[in-house]
Amino acid sequence: MRYSPTLVDHFLNPRNAGLMRQADAAGEGEYAGCGDLARVFLRVQDGRVAEARFQAYGCGPTIAAASAVSELIALRPIEDLAHLKPEEVERALDGLPEDRRHAADVVADAVRAAARDWLSRRG
Amino acid sequence: MTRRVYLDHNASTPVHPEVVAEMTPFFGEVFGNPSSVHGFGRDARAGVDLARERVADFIKVPADQIVFTSGGTESDNFGVKGLALAKGRGHLITSRIEHHAVLRTVQALEAQGFAATYLPVDEHGRVDPGDVEKAIRPDTIAISVMHANSEVGTIQPIAEIGRIAREHGVPFHVDAVQTFGKVPIDVDAMGIDAMSFSAHKIYGPKGIAGLFIRKGTKMVSIQHGGEHERRRRAGTENVPGIVGFGKAVEVRARDMQEEAVRVGMLRDRLWKGIAANVPEVQLNGHPTERLPGTASICYRHVESESIVLGLDLRGIAVSAGSACTSGNVEPSYVLVAMGVPLDWAMGTVRSSLGRSTTAEDIDYVIESVTPLVKKLRAAAPAGVA
Repeated sequence: MRYSPTLVDHFLNPRNAGLMRQADAAGEGEYAGCGDLARVFLRVQDGRVAEARFQAYGCGPTIAAASAVSELIALRPIEDLAHLKPEEVERALDGLPEDRRHAADVVADAVRAAARDWLSRRG
Repeated sequence: MTRRVYLDHNASTPVHPEVVAEMTPFFGEVFGNPSSVHGFGRDARAGVDLARERVADFIKVPADQIVFTSGGTESDNFGVKGLALAKGRGHLITSRIEHHAVLRTVQALEAQGFAATYLPVDEHGRVDPGDVEKAIRPDTIAISVMHANSEVGTIQPIAEIGRIAREHGVPFHVDAVQTFGKVPIDVDAMGIDAMSFSAHKIYGPKGIAGLFIRKGTKMVSIQHGGEHERRRRAGTENVPGIVGFGKAVEVRARDMQEEAVRVGMLRDRLWKGIAANVPEVQLNGHPTERLPGTASICYRHVESESIVLGLDLRGIAVSAGSACTSGNVEPSYVLVAMGVPLDWAMGTVRSSLGRSTTAEDIDYVIESVTPLVKKLRAAAPAGVA
């Protein structure tokens, strides 16, 4: 298997998958190259992530990355997430093959967009 | 241990045990060069000659009209370039859904100054023979249309295209890599002048294939050197491969018809089981004119590679209809040519069944794919792609 056991586990048992109604913030990431898409929804309390959910369309690593990030960002300050790097997402999956790095990019984009959404709503 | 189910026979097949047994001496005691005149060479030559007879008998042509090559890709290159370069210039006709071995060969010939027409296909993936006739010009020098498409399994109206080609005096090449040994082929009735076929799709070894060249067809060689293959294809023969190919063909001649009925029933069982359990699915290809063992199924709003991964983790081997390579997705050009909408095409998965496939395998696939697609759709934003 070319994917890590962590990635496979997230793909087979995605955490926090599905729509969040009336989220405090939402963001989307898309990779034009292959049409992969991730949406991240946040419930925010005291400037930190109280709950995260995701929707993802794409290859297995993209779905796994979205699941992993929904755990990775729990309780993190929103201001930090505005700068979330794809490398951190990749580490949470115990690595990605070179040709699947876009999975971390798409999901990190979605998280940063959601963080910016919350920061802009807060004004 | 996880159950293992191989449903990728259009990609390659396991070598039949009878083929392995036939090949084995040719890796050991029968090692001579068939061009050598001594006894070692003559023993190897006998193996090659028998194999050529078996292949020729199977398609009912004289043995001297069969040339062995290194694979289906070489056969297609040989067939198309051989016909084109024999004329030196002119116009070629092919279809938009050919294998890359033909498409890119025609494109390469265009770069050398040849003209080409790429015929469209209908929603089932069939070329209209009327379009072939309309495309023929005074300078048309060759037509190349595949017998069946590997992705969707649609079988082309080869006999009608062959009749048109013959009426216009245009040589006709057919890429039969996916049909040879799976469905009957009559090169005379189909008006075929050159035909590519391969061993590893029919339980023979990899690295060996063939090209039928009808006597009198003007062809030039594309590989130069010694006098092998009646000076049509230079290079010392792959003797074990040729011997294995001959045996594989003999086994197919014996088993083909019965197996086609059996895998056809299993293919129908797979499609009916999936259609009954998974919403928003579609079977691609022609409803009746199709390879017996191929099922190309679109799962709307799911990305095909995630299905392939999910099934792989259950020990099931299928192939994705759209491939994501280095982050760039290539929607299948075959499905695009058939007019399949993107949100369906992106979720296409091909299952290709074979001699070892059982009803239990098919039921296991249905049991596996149903919850997998449900889960993937639950995580996906509806209406993307």
